[in-house]
Amino acid sequence: MLPVGITHYLVVGALLLVLGVFGIFLNRKNVIIMLMSIELILLAANINLVAFSALLHDLVGQVFVMFTLTVAAAEAAIGLAIVVIYFRNRGSVQVEDVNLMKG
Amino acid sequence: MNLNVTTADWYAVAPLAIVAGTGLLVLLADLFARTHVNRYAAIVLAALGIAVAMADCAAAYGHDYAAFGGAFIVGGFGVVFQEIVLIAALGSVVLYGAIGNPDRVGGAIALMLWSASGAMLMSGAGSLMTIFLGIELLSLALYCLCGLADRPTARESAFKYLILSSVASGFMLYGMALLFGASGSVALTDLTNPALATNPLLWIGAGLFLVGISFKLSLVPFHAWSPDVYEGAPLPVTAFMSVATKAGTLAIFARFIYAALPSGVAERLLLPVWIVAAISMIAGNVGMLAQHDLKRLLAYSGIAQVGYILAALAGGTALGMRYAIFYLAAYTFMNLGAFAVAALLSDDGEQGSRLANYRGLAQKSPLAAAMMTFFLLALAGLPPTAGFLGKILILSTSVTTGYAWLGFALIAGTAISLYAYAKVIRAMYERNEHAHTHEAHPFVPLAWASAIVCVVIVIALTFYPLTPSNVLPLVR
Repeated sequence: MLPVGITHYLVVGALLLVLGVFGIFLNRKNVIIMLMSIELILLAANINLVAFSALLHDLVGQVFVMFTLTVAAAEAAIGLAIVVIYFRNRGSVQVEDVNLMKG
Repeated sequence: MNLNVTTADWYAVAPLAIVAGTGLLVLLADLFARTHVNRYAAIVLAALGIAVAMADCAAAYGHDYAAFGGAFIVGGFGVVFQEIVLIAALGSVVLYGAIGNPDRVGGAIALMLWSASGAMLMSGAGSLMTIFLGIELLSLALYCLCGLADRPTARESAFKYLILSSVASGFMLYGMALLFGASGSVALTDLTNPALATNPLLWIGAGLFLVGISFKLSLVPFHAWSPDVYEGAPLPVTAFMSVATKAGTLAIFARFIYAALPSGVAERLLLPVWIVAAISMIAGNVGMLAQHDLKRLLAYSGIAQVGYILAALAGGTALGMRYAIFYLAAYTFMNLGAFAVAALLSDDGEQGSRLANYRGLAQKSPLAAAMMTFFLLALAGLPPTAGFLGKILILSTSVTTGYAWLGFALIAGTAISLYAYAKVIRAMYERNEHAHTHEAHPFVPLAWASAIVCVVIVIALTFYPLTPSNVLPLVR
């Protein structure tokens, strides 16, 4: 059996971060996928926080994760609401249609 | 971490609670009004709350106290940032009340107040946790505010802001997790441990943290969001966002570089930030040249102005900090004033954002054109405005602390920006035969009042005795 150490958690966290970033910048289809990728990035940070919290025997990291989860939930709620009003206005949630302003 | 919460801790966060509670009161008033809350009643209620919070903040000045085990720091330079945020909130609340959609005045003012309480939390944040919460409280309310207009561009700006800002927060949070792993604590002061100077976790974590900060400050490689978001958002929201986001983030950045890095690390770690600041000064001002929208123009102007403020912080001296705060205060009023003039051109704020509508303004409304000229010259940094004094002070501190190249970038940026501002001013004073056929502008008394107050303050700030020995004793 391979003992699971802090490095393994950090690698998983880094992989999730990379997945999330690629999901946002390479995704050319649906904006909902972008919201999911944002959640991945936040979860990557959460995994690191919990891993360090266990390593250091310090509960502060886990308290931090509770706050982060709350914020992520609020962000998802607001994000979906914005997608809904955006869809009502433009009739599409495709990434290539987000083009009214150059930038 | 042993936490004994005392009454003093709760008094420490009272200004934030007052601002957030006032937001709830405005919403309640909106709920009980027959159709929607009267715009003047909402403004008065919000202004009262903000005034009480300002007095409460000012009372804490000089009584430094680390509340909640150092998570929230009262006093020091945080007080000044909090006052700046509150002033920005007051100005934008008045502007939204003056030109906003009456159905949405209650909700918009409540969201602005909650957003302001987030920026105040950022100004006093002493731990990674409060920094993150403050940023998110500010941003979550701003996402909603951006989408408050019915225009498709407003919806698109809300969406773009949500995605890009969340990614930046995510990077920042990831960096914070690594910083927590490195130091074993969320307190910023524990990051000064000299043993951390060679820890790779600290370097990667601080790097990601600074990437997040650069995004929030819209420094150049991370600036693409700001012109689009500023253009799409309702005008008073843009006014609020341009000041409050910068004030809160600069407070975090200042606390991070002044109080949270092991000695020897700061010089090497922060060099990329200063380079980025220099690029922002040039690129922001070059970007202004091609704009046809006042909000986009002020967005690019803001990118450059943040570069100037960072140039004052580069030396890491207390004097530089004071000059940065002075310039931020001056920028607040110059910027709010420019938005107030744009607001008084129309009853929904959209006429005033297209630069084409400024052609021949001097014939139709000489006073409005004169005030806009004044604010643009102040942003460009010409005497007799606070912008000029602020730039001279930043220049002097960057030369004396060995960052003369930042001062050079400041001068080059200013030269480019003069051309961009002059283009707008020339358009306003152009003779326009069609000017008389346009219908007269609606009279927006609140926007006029805000613009005039800003003119007075921008002039008054230049008379503040800012000799090095007599300068605001802001940093303890």
